[in-house]
Amino acid sequence: MDNDEQALSPEEMLRLIEQQETATVSRLAPNPVPHYLAWGVAWFVGFGAFFLRDGLSGTPYLAIPLGVTLALLFGLMALAMVVSAMTMWQLGSPVRGASQQRGTMYGFSWAFGFLAMWMIGVRFGPSLPIPEQGLLWSSLSMMVVAVLYMAGGAVWLVRPMFVLGAGVAVLNAVGTAAGPGWHALLMSVGAGGGSIIAGFVLRRRMRR
Amino acid sequence: MTPELDPVIHAQARLRVVATLNTLAEGDQITFPGLKDLLGMTAGNLSVHLSKLEEAGYVEIVKTHKGRTPVTYVALTRRGRAAFEGYTAAIRELLDTARAPASEDT
Repeated sequence: MDNDEQALSPEEMLRLIEQQETATVSRLAPNPVPHYLAWGVAWFVGFGAFFLRDGLSGTPYLAIPLGVTLALLFGLMALAMVVSAMTMWQLGSPVRGASQQRGTMYGFSWAFGFLAMWMIGVRFGPSLPIPEQGLLWSSLSMMVVAVLYMAGGAVWLVRPMFVLGAGVAVLNAVGTAAGPGWHALLMSVGAGGGSIIAGFVLRRRMRR
Repeated sequence: MTPELDPVIHAQARLRVVATLNTLAEGDQITFPGLKDLLGMTAGNLSVHLSKLEEAGYVEIVKTHKGRTPVTYVALTRRGRAAFEGYTAAIRELLDTARAPASEDT
């Protein structure tokens, strides 16, 4: 008790503040690395399959049925979404309030964003030739992802998140213009690789 | 001149409490047990310091219920945040003047 009331020298008080701040942040802040790695792998593998199926010039490198590639991509993305939800939900966190509301609203934006995407794909997909159908689904989903990553970066002031979102938006536009094979390649390497890199950048930042 | 150090915060235990609460985003609250774990203090000890901080208007304590169990949430008030900022600024100023004793300006 007596010790508690004592004040130390200014240096030591300042050090006490810094120690307490880093300890608190490392205990309360969620670890974002699994989220980025899960999405990185999902895109790398999922779009990798699309790339092999479509080929850059329209001739497939590997004959994979569209249903399989779609199931692979969206299945892996669904898994990654579970990882993200577990990261952001922060079950058992002792903190409530503004940041919790922010996280909930952001989580719902994903659900509503993908609902809108799904309906557009269902409605317009069947009227397109098969390779274009795949491109419609993948470009729409990456548009939702890009926009929400940029928004997330803005909400939490996480620059790597914003940069990843902006990068995906640009690559998505370029790839959509260039055609299914290019789009799949750019998404697999750019978005998938970019997400894995962002995960490592954030991990290094957290260790500091 | 030496800056005045806020006596409410200028005590090891309360400084740690305020520094911890200050890392929470504005508008966030932390449960009492959560705060206790972060600080490694006993509940009794933390209560004493919290009530001193509450008296000064630096801390807001909200008691609610989750189902039937009572839950206590703690947060820094705007005044508490300002006081902590003022305190760290004052400490930094003290250190700067200590490092440059023969000051070139007055």
